[in-house]
Amino acid sequence: MPQSPNLMRSDRIGYVAGGIALIAWALRRPNLPRALAAGFGAWLVYQAYTGSNPVFKPLGIRVNREPPTPEIAETLVVEEAITISRARSEVFSYFAQPEHLPGLADAELDITRSHADEELAWRGHREGKLAHFGSLTFREAPGGRGTIVAAHLEYAPTGGSLGAALARVTGRSPQRLVADALRRARAMLESGEAPTTSGQPTGRR
Amino acid sequence: MRALCWHDKLDVRVETVPEPKLLNPRDAIVRVTSTAICGSDLHLYGGFVPGMVKGDILGHEFMGEVVEVGTAVKNLRPGDRVVVPFPIACGNCFFCKREMFSLCENSNPNAYMAEKMWGYSPCGIYGYSHLLGGYAGGQAEYVRVPYADVGPLKVPEELSDDHALFLSDILPTGYMAAENCAIEAGDTIAVWGCGPVGLFAIASAFLLGAERVIAIDRFPERLRLAGSKLGAETIDYTEANVLEALKELTGGRGPDGCIDAVGMEAHAYHNFAYAYDRVKQAMMSETDRPVALREAVMACRSGGTISVAGVYGGWIDKFPAGAIMNRSLTLKSGQTHVQRYMRPLLERILKGDIDPSFVITHRMHLDQAPTAYRMFRDKQDECIKVVLTP
Repeated sequence: MPQSPNLMRSDRIGYVAGGIALIAWALRRPNLPRALAAGFGAWLVYQAYTGSNPVFKPLGIRVNREPPTPEIAETLVVEEAITISRARSEVFSYFAQPEHLPGLADAELDITRSHADEELAWRGHREGKLAHFGSLTFREAPGGRGTIVAAHLEYAPTGGSLGAALARVTGRSPQRLVADALRRARAMLESGEAPTTSGQPTGRR
Repeated sequence: MRALCWHDKLDVRVETVPEPKLLNPRDAIVRVTSTAICGSDLHLYGGFVPGMVKGDILGHEFMGEVVEVGTAVKNLRPGDRVVVPFPIACGNCFFCKREMFSLCENSNPNAYMAEKMWGYSPCGIYGYSHLLGGYAGGQAEYVRVPYADVGPLKVPEELSDDHALFLSDILPTGYMAAENCAIEAGDTIAVWGCGPVGLFAIASAFLLGAERVIAIDRFPERLRLAGSKLGAETIDYTEANVLEALKELTGGRGPDGCIDAVGMEAHAYHNFAYAYDRVKQAMMSETDRPVALREAVMACRSGGTISVAGVYGGWIDKFPAGAIMNRSLTLKSGQTHVQRYMRPLLERILKGDIDPSFVITHRMHLDQAPTAYRMFRDKQDECIKVVLTP
């Protein structure tokens, strides 16, 4: 079933190389397991041809092939939202402190845009290079239920989208970092502390 | 201190571990004076709940004496005697403000794990897997209680531990199961499972105005309590066809409310579906055995309510969705919003409406907990409820 292209350029090169290698390996000494490997290789080549991988959508992997930055050619996109039962100005002031922004680890954050109670945007640099950029928008939740914070973050992945898929499966993805930062913000703003168990007793040795 | 630690399926051990410390401003440390083994602890013991890690301290039913409080706790002081609700809830979030404490959005540090499994995360729970926060539990000498300024309930001096302990879980759980049936005058309520939660659901159904309660189990001592102590009619499912018996007892219409107080490890007798579920569960293609739940759905009168108090963890097969849709059935469930019920139920205990201590069959020292788990699981010695003292 064809869908709109979601593979990165680097992925397509890797898929063609990997697919051909698998087929070649199978042809050298054909047997059943190798035939299956060849089938998988053919599927990779087909994905490179169509430019889309059907597993990305269920895994929540989104590629932006034309990001608004000249520094990064292609990005992976993370979007998360949370509702916090506090006034918009209070929520905004919390996130206006750079250490509370849901940026990625080890990056230095510069706030690039700040509209009070509306929007915050930042760029994250690692060793002088742009590693990610993101923004938060703030709006009133319906029915006086507080403030909705929507995060949008794009980053240059290491290891292409395969790396992103692995990160997602192992739970160390930027998606998780952003979601955890938003949850932490809600806990701090609503209950005054972040839930933790680190330092509690256990029978592990 | 001494604490009961989970090691593996059917392997729990009492070990010496460090004492808990205050980790957050709203924490308190409680010296446990009484703690109980819950039927849902048996799901952990049997290895049916994912997210358990070797060394985890179990126990979510406990009470004791406050020994230390964090800087933000103003309502408690060392020496106060408290019973602690099993859902860990902040008291400030969207759900807590609406008294749905077991859905607290802020108390589970591992919310991402629960989201993978269930879509969104409920609250954290003491000693109930890392999916629900990985909090150390109360089958120990001391326990750390988060959000101590809103959770624990002070217990009047005249009330013994035996009378107050079950406010932590099973009494509110049985009560909420009955309340979820929206009982009207003349109603008949059927209860699957006569463990402590089932027994409290029976007692609560009568308190809430049910005309008749029909109790279903297979253990004579439990059916005896349901029948002679609480006044329920009883069905032994090893002897009778439950669906036919219920139909007959309710004049061909079915019970108005059906309570599943069994959960994911249901048993059945001469039942093809039961064999099917055991095989699927063993092959890990189905996590829970919903024999009681299916039967409750099929038995319920049209337009009635199925109230699920038994614990489920994952996925089930062959769920009679057609019966729910075509017969206008309502399905209600949830981890108990214990904080909502503690005060009113404490009043009822003080007034003498209910004496929850009748479910206790065994008292043991914390050091004997591994023996107690085995005995409770195998229903040896007519075991219904074990209270442990550290």
